[in-house]
Amino acid sequence: MLNFLSLLVIYIEIYAILALSLNLIAGYTGLLSLCHAAFFAIGAYTTAIGMTMGGWNFWFSLFVSGILASMLGLVVGLPTLRLKGDYLAIATLGFGEVVKNIIINWDSLTRGPNGINGVPTPEMFGLKFGYDTPFAYVLLYALFVAGTYFVIRWVVHSRFGRALEAIREDEIAVGAMGINAVKYKVVAFMMGAFFAGIAGSLWAVYNQSVAPQTFDFMLSVLVLCMVVLGGLGNSLGAILGALVIVILSELPRLTGLTSLIPAQFNQMFFGLLLILVMIFRPQGVLGRKRISYETEVARILERRSS
Amino acid sequence: MKRILLSLGLVFLVLGCGSKKLTEIPVGFIGPLTGDAANYGKLSLQAVQIALDEINAQGGIGGLPVKLYVEDDEGKPEKANAAFEKLYGVNKIYGFVGPMFSSCALAIAPKAQAAKVVMISQSATHKDVTSKGDFIFRNVLSDQLQAEVFGRYVAEKLGIKKVAILYIKNDYSQGLAMDFKRVFEASGGQVVAVETGVQGDKDFKTQLTKIKEAQPEALYIPNYVAEMAQILEQAKQLGLNVKILSADGFSNPEIFALAKDLANGVIFSNSADESGMKNPLRENFVKLYREKYGEDPDAFAQNAYDAFKVLLLALKNAYETSGGVIDRTKVRDFLLNLRGYQGVSGVITFLPSGDAIKNVGIYVADAKKKTYNQIAVYKVENNQLVEVK
Amino acid sequence: MALFHLSWSEIGQHVVNGITLGSIYALIALGYTMVYGILKFINFAHGEILMMGAYAGYFFYMALNGEGVSSLSLFLFLLAMIGSMLVSATLGVIVEKLAYKPLRTAPRLAPLLSAIGVSIILSNLAAFLFGTKSKRLDYPFPNETILLGNVAITPHQILIVVSALVLMVALKLFVDYSKLGKAMRATSQNMNVAKLMGINTDFIISLTFAIGSALAAAAGMLVALEIKIYPTMGTLAGLKAFVAAVFGGIGNITGAMIGGVLLGVIETFGVAVLGIPQGLRDTVAFTILIFVLLFRPSGLLGKKEKEKV
Repeated sequence: MLNFLSLLVIYIEIYAILALSLNLIAGYTGLLSLCHAAFFAIGAYTTAIGMTMGGWNFWFSLFVSGILASMLGLVVGLPTLRLKGDYLAIATLGFGEVVKNIIINWDSLTRGPNGINGVPTPEMFGLKFGYDTPFAYVLLYALFVAGTYFVIRWVVHSRFGRALEAIREDEIAVGAMGINAVKYKVVAFMMGAFFAGIAGSLWAVYNQSVAPQTFDFMLSVLVLCMVVLGGLGNSLGAILGALVIVILSELPRLTGLTSLIPAQFNQMFFGLLLILVMIFRPQGVLGRKRISYETEVARILERRSS
Repeated sequence: MKRILLSLGLVFLVLGCGSKKLTEIPVGFIGPLTGDAANYGKLSLQAVQIALDEINAQGGIGGLPVKLYVEDDEGKPEKANAAFEKLYGVNKIYGFVGPMFSSCALAIAPKAQAAKVVMISQSATHKDVTSKGDFIFRNVLSDQLQAEVFGRYVAEKLGIKKVAILYIKNDYSQGLAMDFKRVFEASGGQVVAVETGVQGDKDFKTQLTKIKEAQPEALYIPNYVAEMAQILEQAKQLGLNVKILSADGFSNPEIFALAKDLANGVIFSNSADESGMKNPLRENFVKLYREKYGEDPDAFAQNAYDAFKVLLLALKNAYETSGGVIDRTKVRDFLLNLRGYQGVSGVITFLPSGDAIKNVGIYVADAKKKTYNQIAVYKVENNQLVEVK
Repeated sequence: MALFHLSWSEIGQHVVNGITLGSIYALIALGYTMVYGILKFINFAHGEILMMGAYAGYFFYMALNGEGVSSLSLFLFLLAMIGSMLVSATLGVIVEKLAYKPLRTAPRLAPLLSAIGVSIILSNLAAFLFGTKSKRLDYPFPNETILLGNVAITPHQILIVVSALVLMVALKLFVDYSKLGKAMRATSQNMNVAKLMGINTDFIISLTFAIGSALAAAAGMLVALEIKIYPTMGTLAGLKAFVAAVFGGIGNITGAMIGGVLLGVIETFGVAVLGIPQGLRDTVAFTILIFVLLFRPSGLLGKKEKEKV
């Protein structure tokens, strides 16, 4: 029972880190990225491979995972030199699929479709983490969520963060002010990817196994849902989004409905909630209401035509 | 929101920590019920439900009803983890059938082992699955065993020297393809082309065009039926007329609806049906299944049925010998000591590793009658292929 | 003489395979491109509309023709196709009214997520209603392979390419020359001005969804001949077609057609020429896509958007 609840809390914590980091890219900087699963995967696989084959310890793996993921962030961020809006989204979608395909096909390193299992658990302060210590994970990961939250809060409140928000609002004006928007966008990608890599590492040592099925396009979409649900550009919202999405998707299991209704209904229920939330709170649960020129014009026209 | 979660948790705590005395015997099923692989999960679940109805019609175990808790893993390890924690933590199951895929099985096997919950997979064929502990069983031919027999059979008995392989990048298909290649080459055969496809892909024309250029005598396709039907059809369209070889995935009669006559004459390996004419267990089960669900079970569903049956036997034994409670280690011990259980998927005896020892049957598909005919039963002894009569 | 390590017959075969695949991509891509052109959002549920259309077509064809092939079968197949197009068009309009219309003024990401919700609902609804088993849509003729030298072509491939071509040309003519087509173009260029000019933009948007969904249904039946019918059949086909739409320049109808066919040919061919494992086929497709976007950021035929200051 406690193991099940703590599993949910741990999933929420890991997704919260993912959502916080994507929020930096999509929410604050306004870059629609659909490859967050790839950054997450790089982190998870780096840790899994490093700890099983390389004999690395947890902290070192964690660090390398973050760095490698942010390197991929650099690679993904570079096309932002030229691509805008939805085209960037498609390019990132492409990157995500490429990374997943390479993982599935690079059998000698990633063990292909079976994934890597038997990842050692972390050991610190004389405590060996394991199945019997779910609370140790809950606590440790809570610290990581808090750490990510405060680092990102510090970043967005800095001069750098204001530049990111300015880029989102009006990139051309930012350019005219003499700010190199490209540099800022690439760094935003790298930072977001770094935290996603950390989340991947935490994922690997908690589940003790990684498999390519986890890191599909739907995961990127799910994390984006969390960010949008909480409210773009709102860090607390991102955490709330992770909480709501995990609970919603596990609600049938939590309430014991899984044995009573057809499995498809769980999924349909989730899809329906997604639509309803978007219709009734399109700006997200905690979203900041921003005045958009186009929406205002549309509203005025609407009023005139009726 | 956090408060809601907390109170939800408290409700479960209260519900979970009820009286110690058993009022039902909780068992589980984990498998893909939504997503790409949903059909395979469903076929197995239906088989398990037949076994469940049978035991409850007989009064359950010691007068207590057996309660089946079903969880969907969507074919993903992280969902399988959640499914297991729920089944164990909330429903307090003593054992379960599943999961379907090796990746999921490998992910949750250590948890089942730590919790002393017996796990019997009906289709996770990867060799490492059962090495995760002594509570982990499987009632399916491992890739290795199946390929060990079939690779030799193709080279030695069919006399085929040049084979092409087309497999899908999933745990099942790739495992079989690799083991088959190794055994077939060691037996003197030559693999002239190895092509792969991605999971979910249904267009294999590019691969088949390349395979046609390699001019093999036969094509080995260890896949699931939806993909194999595509391959059979597209091979024919491209004019690639070679013998088709396959594995236990072919034993899903859905193939006859999808590929029609093209399924005729396909040779494949599966666990041997040793019931013979005197004890037509498999036929009876298939008949029952068809009456109840209007479709036929595949090999994995038959495995799942037997897996659930032996699990129930073990629970019954543990319940009766311990007087009203179930000792988890007794469930495991019963399975380890089980000898020669006559099931619909063959004769089951578990090795100490948890693997079922089974003989391998060689089958030929007959599209006219929509059935499979077993033409021989083999095992490997002292590195030799031995026919079991 | 052969190109790289490929023989001529192999090359010919890849071209045939690629064009078949590509015409289906093109047909699906049209739906994405039309909706994007007008509403500027990616209709992620398009693949599921295709799947529903394929099921509808299957049931119509089974009701009209049943098992077996007669001289009437091809006609009945086309009739079933028209039926499925009507069903899908209706479904597309309903989805638009319920899930997208309330979001017309919402932030850009909201309809995207709503579309994902719709796609989850539709694929699971199909699994619940029609079962998870694949269904086989029979060929409406004896599908005997025709051998041209060593290159194999089947009648169903010809049917796919011809139907796709006819539908695409019809759409192009409709959009370019009819009055409604003109209204559609006006709406896509500037919805508010179009509204001021007296165009009923709500109707035009519904019409766009109806046409896009009808084309998806036709594509669904053609795809079904190739890959059978199952609840998740739309996902991968949809994703690829979407890539094709972007490849050609999203919002551009001719671009979607060219992008679709090119993607099909490059996919089948790229892998064969490069000799890398087929498991990496999508990788090739997506890598090419990324490079095309880098050098032509709005796709092959897409207009370069002016930056407004």
